[in-house]
Amino acid sequence: MNPSNKKIPFRANANRALHDSSLRATMRNITETFTKKREEAISSLPFEEWRDLASALRLQVLDNLPDTISRFTANATRTGATIHNAKDARETREIVASILRDRGAKKVVKSKSMVSEEIHLNDYLESEGLEVMETDLGEYINQIAGEGPSHIIVPAIHKNRRQIGELFAEKLGSKYTDDPMELTKIARKILRERFLSAQAGITGANFAAADSGSIVLFTNEGNGRMVTTLPPLHIAVISIDKVIPSLKDLPLFIRLLPRSATGQMLTSYLSVITGTRKAGESTGAQELHIVLVDNGRSRILAGEYREMLKCIRCGACLNTCPIYRMVGGHSYGATYPGPMGIVFTTLLNGMENAHPLLDATTLCGACAEVCPVKVPLPQLLRRLREERVERRMTPLIEQAGMAGFALVTESPILFHLGQTAGRIFWPIAKKVGGKNVVGRMPDFAPRTFRRRRIL
Amino acid sequence: MTRTEVVDLFTKNAIKAGAEVARAKDTGELNRIAGEILKGAQSIFCPKVTRKEKAIVTAEDRRTEDYVNASACIEEVFGAVAETGSVVLSSREGKPVQIGLLTAHHVAILPAEKIYEKLDDLFAAYGDSPPTNITLETGPSRTADIELILTLGVHGPERLSIIVVEGQDRKRSRKRTFPAETGASDPS
Repeated sequence: MNPSNKKIPFRANANRALHDSSLRATMRNITETFTKKREEAISSLPFEEWRDLASALRLQVLDNLPDTISRFTANATRTGATIHNAKDARETREIVASILRDRGAKKVVKSKSMVSEEIHLNDYLESEGLEVMETDLGEYINQIAGEGPSHIIVPAIHKNRRQIGELFAEKLGSKYTDDPMELTKIARKILRERFLSAQAGITGANFAAADSGSIVLFTNEGNGRMVTTLPPLHIAVISIDKVIPSLKDLPLFIRLLPRSATGQMLTSYLSVITGTRKAGESTGAQELHIVLVDNGRSRILAGEYREMLKCIRCGACLNTCPIYRMVGGHSYGATYPGPMGIVFTTLLNGMENAHPLLDATTLCGACAEVCPVKVPLPQLLRRLREERVERRMTPLIEQAGMAGFALVTESPILFHLGQTAGRIFWPIAKKVGGKNVVGRMPDFAPRTFRRRRIL
Repeated sequence: MTRTEVVDLFTKNAIKAGAEVARAKDTGELNRIAGEILKGAQSIFCPKVTRKEKAIVTAEDRRTEDYVNASACIEEVFGAVAETGSVVLSSREGKPVQIGLLTAHHVAILPAEKIYEKLDDLFAAYGDSPPTNITLETGPSRTADIELILTLGVHGPERLSIIVVEGQDRKRSRKRTFPAETGASDPS
C-alpha cells in the first residue's frame, strides 16, 4: 500500500477519516461489539491465569527461536512437507512464484494471511501472470476493490453494505443488493467454482507446532478448509514468530485467540495440518510447501523490542484503542493497524518512514490490558517515542516547544516571567485560537498554587 | 466428570455455537432421527463405511455418491470436544474430511463415548504424530465481514446437526479406506 520509502502521512489520513461519518459509525459499531463480546466471552474463566501462561510460553519460544524453528523444520519435513526459508519479502514472493511456475499452476485460491499482505504477495503473483483469488469474504471484497485490509480480523469492515453492493454490481455484474445474505451468496457461488478448479492453494497459519511439524488455521467461513483440502498443491506462508513448542500447547492458544479476536469460544473451523497425504488417507495436499518468512523478525528478536514477537494477531488491541476506534485501519497507511501495528510497522518499515504513527497513541494502556499474550505495548510505544526524540524526528515545532519548556522550567526567573506573561496573554490566545485546541483549554487559575499555599 | 456430564456439556456448547443436537439411544433410533433431520434434503451423501453409517437408510432416489453437489451429507465423525462443543474430523478415518464442508447441511453421527472433555485430552491422544488433517467443526460456517452482520453458510454448511448416539458399539467395523474420490483433489 504505502511505498516503503515514503513517510506515512498519519495526520492527514486521520483527519480525512475523522470527517468520514460513515466510517466513524462503522468503527464505533465494530469496536464496541468486539470489545463487548470479548468481555462476555472471558467472564467466569481463569483468563488472567491463561494470559500469564501464554505470555511465558511465547517468551520461551522467543528465547529458543532458532532451535524451535529447526525442530519444526525437521518434523514438517519428516511428514512430507518441503520447507523453504525466506529472508525478506522479495525472496518470499520469488519462492512462492517459482513453486507455482514450476508446476504450471495458474489458478490459485488464497485464504486470509496477514504476512502475505505484509509482503504484497498478490500484486507480485498477478504481475507474474497468475490468477490469485482471495476467498475470505472480506479479503475478496478488498481484492475486487483494489484495497488493503483495515482490520486484521474483519479486513473489509471499512465498507458498508451499500458500498459493497455497488462494488459487486460494478465489478461482478450482479444485480444491486445491499442484503448481506444475498451478497454473501453471490461471492459463495463465484468462489465455489474457483475452489473446485484451482490448481494451488495459498494460506498463512495462526500457529506452527514444532514437535509435530503441524500448521494450524482458524477460520469461520470454511475457506481455509477448502483451500487446504481441494487443490493438489498447498503453499503455506508463515512468519517465523508463529511457532509454538508442541501441539500440547495448542489448547491454551485455542482458548485465548478466538475469545480475544471475536468473542467466540472457538471459530467454526480449526484445521491442524500435518504434512502431505499419507497412505490410506483421502485428505491432504499431494504437495505441501511451507515458506518460513523472516522479513525483519530476527532483527527485532535481537533488539529491545523483541516482546512484540509474542503477538498472536488477535486484533483485541485494535478494538480497544481509543485512536483506532476513531481513525480506522487505513489511516495507519500500512498492513498492521492499531497499537500492535504502530510497533510492527515502525520496526519493519523503519523509524524514518513510520514515525508519524507514534502520534497515534495516548499511552492509556488499554491495549496491554486486553492482550492475550501480555505484549507490553505501552512500554514499547513509549520507548519508540523516546527513540524518535533521540533521533530528532519529532516535528520541529515540538522540538522547539520542548527546548523552550526546558529552558523556562530550569530557570526560576523565566518561570515567574512565563507565569505572568501567561496570565496576560492566555485569554487573548484563547480568543484567537477559537474552536481549536487552545480555545478548549482551561483558564489559568487566578492565583498560583504556590501563593495559595503561602497566604 | 461423568459420561453424562460430558455429553451434557458438549450439547450445551454445541448449541451455543449454532449447531442442532439430537440424542439417539441406539442405531435404530439413529436412523429414525436422521430421517427426520434430513426430511427436506433432495440429495444425500453417506459414506457407508462405519456400522452406524450403514444403518442409515435413505430412499434410492435421494441417495448420491457425488458429495460435491449433494445437498446434505451424513457421516460418522471421529469424535468431539465438550469444552468447545466441536465435532472432530480426522483424515485417519480414510474418508475426505471435506465431505461435510461442501454440502449446505452437515449431519454428524457422534458416538457418545467419543466425546473428549477437554481440548488437551484430544491433542494428548494424538501425541506428536497426528494424522494429515484434524478439523474441529464448531457450529455452521459463518461470516460477519459485512457490517458485522452474522451470515451463515459462507463456504461451508449453513446447518450443522449432530446426533449423539448413546450406548457402546461393540462390533466395530474394520477400518476401510474410502472408495473412489470425486472433486478437484483427485491425484492426476
